[in-house]
Amino acid sequence: MSAPTSETPALALSGIEMHYGFVRALSDIDVHVMPGEVVGLLGDNGAGKSTLLKVMSGAHRPTHGTIAVHGTQHTFHAPSDAAAAGVQMVYQDLSLVEPQDIATNLNMGQETLRTGPLGWLGFVDRKAMRKSSEAELDRLGVRTAPMSRPVEMLSGGQRQVVAIARSAIRVNGERGGILLLDEPTAALGYEQTRNVEALIRRMADQGIAIVLVTHDLPLCYEVADRMVILNRGRKVADVPVAGTDRDHVVGWITGSRASMFPAATPA
Amino acid sequence: MAMTTSNSQTPGATAPEGAAPAPAAAAPEPAPVPTGHDVPRSVSVLVFLRDRGIFMLWGLLIVVFAFWCSPYFFTLDNALLIANAGALTAIFAAGVGIGIMTGVLDLSLPGTAAFASCVTGWMLTEGYATWLALLAGLACGVVVGVFNGLISLRGFNPIIVTIGSLSILTGLAAVVAGGYTFPGLVQLEFMGTHRYFRINGGETFPGIPAPVFIVAVVFVIGTIFLTRTREGLRLMAVGANGEAVRRAGIASNRYVVLGFVISGVLAALGGLVNTANVTEANPNASPGIIFTALTAVALAGVSLTGGRGSLPRVLVGALILATITNGLTIRGIQPYWATVCTGALLIGALLLERLIQASVEERLMAMNLSVHEKKV
Ligand SMILES: Nc1ncnc2c1ncn2[C@@H]1O[C@H](COP(=O)(O)OP(=O)(O)O)[C@@H](O)[C@H]1O
Ligand SMILES: [Mg+2]
Repeated sequence: MSAPTSETPALALSGIEMHYGFVRALSDIDVHVMPGEVVGLLGDNGAGKSTLLKVMSGAHRPTHGTIAVHGTQHTFHAPSDAAAAGVQMVYQDLSLVEPQDIATNLNMGQETLRTGPLGWLGFVDRKAMRKSSEAELDRLGVRTAPMSRPVEMLSGGQRQVVAIARSAIRVNGERGGILLLDEPTAALGYEQTRNVEALIRRMADQGIAIVLVTHDLPLCYEVADRMVILNRGRKVADVPVAGTDRDHVVGWITGSRASMFPAATPA
Repeated sequence: MAMTTSNSQTPGATAPEGAAPAPAAAAPEPAPVPTGHDVPRSVSVLVFLRDRGIFMLWGLLIVVFAFWCSPYFFTLDNALLIANAGALTAIFAAGVGIGIMTGVLDLSLPGTAAFASCVTGWMLTEGYATWLALLAGLACGVVVGVFNGLISLRGFNPIIVTIGSLSILTGLAAVVAGGYTFPGLVQLEFMGTHRYFRINGGETFPGIPAPVFIVAVVFVIGTIFLTRTREGLRLMAVGANGEAVRRAGIASNRYVVLGFVISGVLAALGGLVNTANVTEANPNASPGIIFTALTAVALAGVSLTGGRGSLPRVLVGALILATITNGLTIRGIQPYWATVCTGALLIGALLLERLIQASVEERLMAMNLSVHEKKV
């Protein structure tokens, strides 16, 4: 669906190598995501999905390889560098402040201050924050709970939606950002998973580039445009979702099917 | 809390294989994502009880004592007496409370209080200006807070660190005092025993004790700070989930130090008010004050896990302690019974809170699961 709107990838990694001491977690990985595209990153446990995502988010520095955001080369020394370049990671374990309300969570770190002297004293404009939060969520097509509700009173699915929306709001704004999701539906039930799926699709439709780590194949078929499959630290397949046989995908994941990139399998 | 539905073992949690339609069919117009149902009324009531129960408890105590200790209890004079008696506890409780809300338990408070009052006492005895002496005392609180904060940030347990500080400060206070006390500090009377707004020499209106004013200022400013300002909200957020705050790109460490500094300054202030009350600076820290303060904080339902709680409730917690002592004293009951009552009340409140919390969570869980049945 939503065809990439531009020729330059939103995020492109090439020749990525990553070693943990002697363990080679990633070797010679090339991946890219176009604006508005959802790329599903698949692979068995230990295949290197989380590691690759951490490289993208600036949490790890690759041993070799380059990262480009909208065609510009970047070196991420920390997640804040990636965030500044428009790359946001939604963490597997939620990073919400439970006792605080939705609006406060969505605005954490970029609070709206009141105008005038009260603003100089650091007073926040709760009303404005609630309104803008509501507008942002509306834009994402998310209807959760009242903005004044503490996160601890939300269901698991609602929390995940708020966590994803928070990152989406941060990367929206400038020319389509990049969102990295690590197993966003791991802890959710069926219905809640569907909600998160719908949200992911909607964000992509708004031009956000999304990398989705999952080992939930149905989820991938539901929301992704393209699948990148890792096997023991190597990319073994990079295929559009439409028209790709599930059995093939399973074969690539388990390693029973040969890599699409035979040149890259000397060892 | 334990409300996330971690288990997806519920029937229907697995997506129907193969039935997934092509995603291209979706999204003609973005329909709102329904993300669960609204919180039922019973939950709101329970949460209200959990968060406001202490005000009702205090009201109940007042009513009981008003009848039981009639006619001496329910008078303006006695109200002021209670407020004044609770003032010192309230200041320390604010310090302990803000510390806990920020995620740290600062046990050095009595030491900070003793050290600050000795520094102020020494300066007053040496003839420095009163304002300068007071400022120096409060500055001691800042220094102690920064010290505690920076050490704790190195990954040491704040409880141990602040126990160490308590010891250091108690010793230093004795050093400053040279083993004695600083008596006769009448310069501080204006913030001690003095009563303001006396009418008719106290006949018509006895006047409001100075510590009550100080408490009012501390709690009004503290509450506004914690609930309405950016720094206050971040401070509370760090107490609840420092990692989340850090991930949001905020230097969360600064807020940990800020929490210690606030608690240190309030400890120093408590020490100074106490000094003003007795017109004497004493290097002997009274560790008991921290337990009284902790009792008030715990009564207020400030969770020790941090990030939760409110100052007005802490104030009421301190007032409840003062009310119980006052009421029992009027009835001529031995003061140790007040401690017994307070302890029983605290444990009772704890049990009740647990009960309410469990009930809230149970209801929220039920709400989550019912998403499967209640198709919209
Ligand atoms: N911090 C680490 N130190 C050493 N080895 C690691 C570390 N993190 C991951 N690995 C190894 O790197 C490989 C890839 O792990 P990971 O990226 O977590 O895989 P996935 O997310 O696909 O399950 C695994 O062999 C794992 O054992
Ligand atoms: Mg992983």
